[in-house]
This record gives sequence, C-alpha cells and structure tokens, in this order.
Amino acid sequence: MRNASVARSRLQPRWTGWLFISIAVLLICAFYFYPMIQALLLSFKTGTGAQIHYTGFDNYERLFSDKVFKTALKNTFLFLIIQVPVMIVLALFISVLLNDSKLKFKGFFRTAIFLPCVTSLVAYSVVFKYLFGNDGLINKLFLNLHLIHDPIQWITDPFWAKITIIIAITWRWTGYNMIFYLSALQNIDNSIYEAARIDGASPIRQFFKITVPLLKPIILFTSITSTIGTLQLFDEVVNITKGGPGNATMSISQYIYNLSFKYTPDFGYAATVSYSIVVLIILLSFIQFKAAGDSK
Amino acid sequence: MKKLMFIMIAAVLVLTACGSKSNNANDTAGNNGNTAGGSKEVTVWAWDPNFNIAAMKLAKDAYATENPDVKVNIIEYAQADIIQKLNTGLNSGTTSGLPNVVLIEDYRAQSFLKAYPDSFYKMSDLIKSSDFADYKIASTSLDGVQYGVPFDSGVTGLYVRTDYLKDAGYSVADITNVDWDKFIEIGKAVKAKTGKFMLTQDPNDLGLIRMMIQSAGSWYLKSDGTTPDLKDNAALKDALTTYKKLMTADIVKVTSDWSQFLAGFNSGDVASVPTGNWISPSVKAEASQSGKWAVVPMPKLKNTASSVNASNLGGSSWYVLNIDGKEAAAEFLAKTMGSDVELYQKMVKQIGVIGTLKTAAEGEAYKAADEFFGGQKTVADFAAWTQKIPQVNYGMHTYAIEDILVPEVQNYMSGSDLDKVLANAQSQAESQLK
Repeated sequence: MRNASVARSRLQPRWTGWLFISIAVLLICAFYFYPMIQALLLSFKTGTGAQIHYTGFDNYERLFSDKVFKTALKNTFLFLIIQVPVMIVLALFISVLLNDSKLKFKGFFRTAIFLPCVTSLVAYSVVFKYLFGNDGLINKLFLNLHLIHDPIQWITDPFWAKITIIIAITWRWTGYNMIFYLSALQNIDNSIYEAARIDGASPIRQFFKITVPLLKPIILFTSITSTIGTLQLFDEVVNITKGGPGNATMSISQYIYNLSFKYTPDFGYAATVSYSIVVLIILLSFIQFKAAGDSK
Repeated sequence: MKKLMFIMIAAVLVLTACGSKSNNANDTAGNNGNTAGGSKEVTVWAWDPNFNIAAMKLAKDAYATENPDVKVNIIEYAQADIIQKLNTGLNSGTTSGLPNVVLIEDYRAQSFLKAYPDSFYKMSDLIKSSDFADYKIASTSLDGVQYGVPFDSGVTGLYVRTDYLKDAGYSVADITNVDWDKFIEIGKAVKAKTGKFMLTQDPNDLGLIRMMIQSAGSWYLKSDGTTPDLKDNAALKDALTTYKKLMTADIVKVTSDWSQFLAGFNSGDVASVPTGNWISPSVKAEASQSGKWAVVPMPKLKNTASSVNASNLGGSSWYVLNIDGKEAAAEFLAKTMGSDVELYQKMVKQIGVIGTLKTAAEGEAYKAADEFFGGQKTVADFAAWTQKIPQVNYGMHTYAIEDILVPEVQNYMSGSDLDKVLANAQSQAESQLK
C-alpha cells in the first residue's frame, strides 16, 4: 500500500512536469525546429519566387564561387576581428574604472555609458549617418580643429566606411557588455584584492592576475554573444552605408536580404547563405570555448 | 494539481480562440473584395503619400461618383515593405492578406510576373497597350499579355540653373539637345567661372548609367530579359567611358544619400540635375530659386548612334492580383488609370504626376506654363519626350546586376581596364543569375 502510493507520487510529478513544459516544447518545435528543417530543405532548392525545385548541392557549389558572398564574409570577419576585441577590452576597462569604490557619480556614468543600448538600431544608425556625412558634424569638427585639410569620406570611401561601421557598433554595444562585467566584478570578494595589496601587487598586476582570470567565464560569454551579434549585423550597415560603397561594407545578413527581397527572389539560395552563418557560429563558438580552455 | 491543469487547459483554449479570432479579423481586413452583401471592396497598396497615394486618391474620388457601391481602400506602405509582403504572400500561397491592386516599380515588374505566374490578372481585355507610351509596355507585359496598367512617366530631363550658365557664358540653347561630352565641357566652364559643381552623384547609385544606356535602347540584359549583356555592350562601354570622364572632370559633388542629393540643388551648390521628372516638386520646393531653372532634354551618348535625347529613370505601374475580387479591381483600374483623361489632368495640376496615357497629353493641364521654370511648358515638354524614350526590356535582374556592376565600376574608376572590368561583371552575373 505504502509502496504503491510512493510510486504514484513519484510518477505523478514526472507527468505533470512534462505537461508543464509540453506547451513550450510544442511551441519551440513549431516555431524554431520546424522552420529550421524547412530552411535546410529550402537550401537545396533553386528557382525564382514560387517556381522552386530540388537541385541537390548546386546552391552550395554556387556559394563557394560567389564573389559577393566572399566579400560579405570578408567584411563580416574584418568587423569581427577588429571590433569585438576592441569592444571587449573597452568594456572591461570602463567597468573596472566604474567599479572603483572612490568614484563619485557612479550611477550617472553607468547610465550614460549604458544609454546607447536602449536606442533603436535604426534611429542611431541614421544619426550616425548624418554625423559622419561628408559635411557632417565630425568632419566639420576636424576641419575647424585643423586636424584635416579635406573632409574624410566617412561613408563613400571603402576604407573609411568600414571604420564608420566599427565605430558605430562599438558605441552601441560597449555599454551592454560593460553591464555584464560590472555585475561580475561585484561578485569578486574584496578580500582577494586586499590580500594582493598587502602582498604588494600593483593595480595593473591585480587587474591581470585577479580581475581577468576571475572574469574569464563572462569574457567568454560576451565574446561569444558579440561574435554572434556581429555575424548577424544588418541594421547598421543597411542604414549607414547601404552596404556600400560597392560591396565594401556588405554583411552576410544584408546579402541574404538582397537575395530574398532586393533581387528577383531566390529563397533557396538565400537559405543556403543563412545556413553558412549557422555553421560559422557553431565553429566560432567551439573555437572560443577551446581557446578559453573551458572543458565544461 | 487539478486546478492548475484546468487553468492551463483554459489558457490554451483562450489562446487558440484568440488565434482564430485574429484570423477572422485578417480575412475582413484583407478585403478580398468579397461580393457578399452587394458592396465591393478594392484594396490598393502603394508608397509615397505625396505622389502615388495622392494620385490613387484622385482616382478613387473620380470612380466613387459613378460607382458608389465600390469601396476603395488605399493603404500606404514603404516600397520595400510592399515587395516583402508580396513576395512572402505569393510564395506561401496565402493570399488572404494581399491587396487587389498593387503598385510595382517597372524595374522589378518582370521579376514578379515571371517568378509568380498566374498570380497577376490579365488586363489585355480591359485596356489597350497602344494607348500608353511605347516604352512602358515591355516592362508591364509578359509574352504579349498586358498585365500592368502603365502609370507615371519616368521621363528624364536635364534641370539647369540658367543664371549659373549665363555667368559661365552659355545660354539654355547651348545645352539643349547636346551630348554628354558637351555637357562636361560646359560643366568645366561653370566650375571655373562660378565655382559651382555641375551636378551631384552618389557613387553607389548607377542611375546615370541606366539613363545613358536606355537612351541608346540598351540595358544590362539582352532583350529576352534574362541573359546578362555587359561584356560586349557597346552602349554600356560608351556610357561608362563618359561616366569616368564626368567623374574625373572635377565637376561632381559626391553625395551618399537622397537628402544630400536634394540639398545639393536646393542649396544652390550645383548647376544642373540630370534625373527623372518626378524631381520637379523637390526642385520647386526651394521657392527662392523661382525663375532660375529650366528643363532641357537629356544629353545623349556621343559615340553611340542609336542614342537619343530622351530617357527614363524609375516609374511604376499598377497591377491586379489574381485573387478574389479581381474583376472589380480590374474594372476600377481600367476606368480610372487606364482611360480617364480628366483624371490625368487633375493629377498633373494637383500633384505633378505625368502619366503615360497618350491621349492625356492633349488635355489643358498638360499645356500649362510653369512660372518657376521661367514660363516653360515643362509638362508638355516632358510628355513629348516620353514618346521618344527607347523601349527596353528591364528584365528580371536590374538590381542584382547593378550590385555586381557598382564595385566593378569602382575598379574601373581607380584604373582597371574597362574590357576586363566588364568581362568580370559578365562572368559574375552569368554564374549568379541562373
């Protein structure tokens, strides 16, 4: 009798547990996994608009010989390699400064640096476009300070356009990453620093030997999310440079958009390019985990 | 536990109920022109409230007096949104959210007509292709069947500042019906004598090239609308050579977007604007420059015999979707945009839309003089030039090819060989556009 009731009470929570998550599971299957599988199938089809048919690996072959895709990939990686480290280091630096117990107006500074994150992507991109225009504020400022003789072609020159995009993303996302570091810093016990100071460790040494190692999981987390974010870069590029000049700032996401909606729609090939991002994100995240030496 | 389960099930039921309710709402909001109840509804999608939407509203009012039982709903979306919604709607086969009438840019029309066969309603029986400017027909029809109702003319003109020209020692007659080489020569004189740039150009937008090649009856694609025609396209070569001459003559103010383009002529920084007639309202927006502007025919290509002093940039047409309510929608379009000469007079007078209906050009409004342009009968001039635009088939890939061409043109500008650049673009286009 007693055994039976124990068995029932064990069984019952298990079933109710499943029931509770069943809706979430169903929804995730319907809105995540089903479209993902459909997209994978779609990536093996070619054709315009509604007239698509299976063509095997044609799309993937086309992908590897596609010059625009290669340019988009190159641009995205350039943004990634330069922007993500700069932003991570900057965020780390600012958060350590803001964590100083002697600092006044801490709340104000934190809010000021976090504020870019609450602005809409499109709105801030448009503002940046005007700031960095040929006769925009930045050029006017530099000209009046006699730092430059001719206005810098921030948006119409292939090199400077990339710089503009990098500056824009860094401005938008540094505060976001800073918040993660700040919360992690508050979890580091002050006695560790105290002990280090007593042992005579300089602030710089403390930073590299205590702060950085203890923040490693957070650094890993932010660099992975930033990497993924950069791979999906779209709003800034579309609104600031439209991917130009030429294809100099075209991102992979923008290319997918163009293939689907700007040109005669080829959803099959667009799905193929989308899957290249999936593969890249998996690869890069894997490398970052390995590089950080985290076996978990 | 039972209570919780009950709440959960109730929640699911409520959710599904909401779902089906919003479906119903969609059906009525989608306005498929259900004939139920005797009244018909026609939903129209278009962009630009000051131009297309305004014109459609005039059509709606004109139609309403004679057909009070037809209700026309005009919905404004950005062009990019219309393209997305059309593509996703037609692709998924769920047409319930789609409109009855939609405006499509001529450069994109073929790609829609070919990618979604049977999705558009045939207008051949309701309108006569020959009633409209010839150049509009190739892009609005497919395999000899007329699908679109041709709308605005994208006829181009060269807007010039007469005062700057005078300062440089030229008259309006000197720049009328000229070729691009002469235009550059005058531009250099204007720059030297007045310090003003001749024109603005956005290096990312090859509109000027498109205008140049259409003036010679050529396009990025062969007349079949699918085969890229870049490598041995003589008109395109001539256009690019001319473009490089223009860009390196130090007479171009470089811009990177639309508002800078507008600011270029509104602020008096440039002496000319070679573009479509739809820019007139923007030029006239700067009232202080009244009397200082004139419009002359577009320059032509010097070394291409077929090139004429008329071309086109942009322009769009109306299409009826092949879904419920198509008859009412087609009837509405045919009676208004398809034939109503009076309506086109109103559109010219009130909005500045120059249509492509041939008979409309004989109306009074088309002959009016414009004081802003020194009393020039600009509309009549544009209407006359519209008839001269060489007909080309824009085909399916205008924007795809242009995106291939832009970086290659930049290579050419920075010193690469023209033939090599075009051969590169050709092979890229061939591998991408299958």
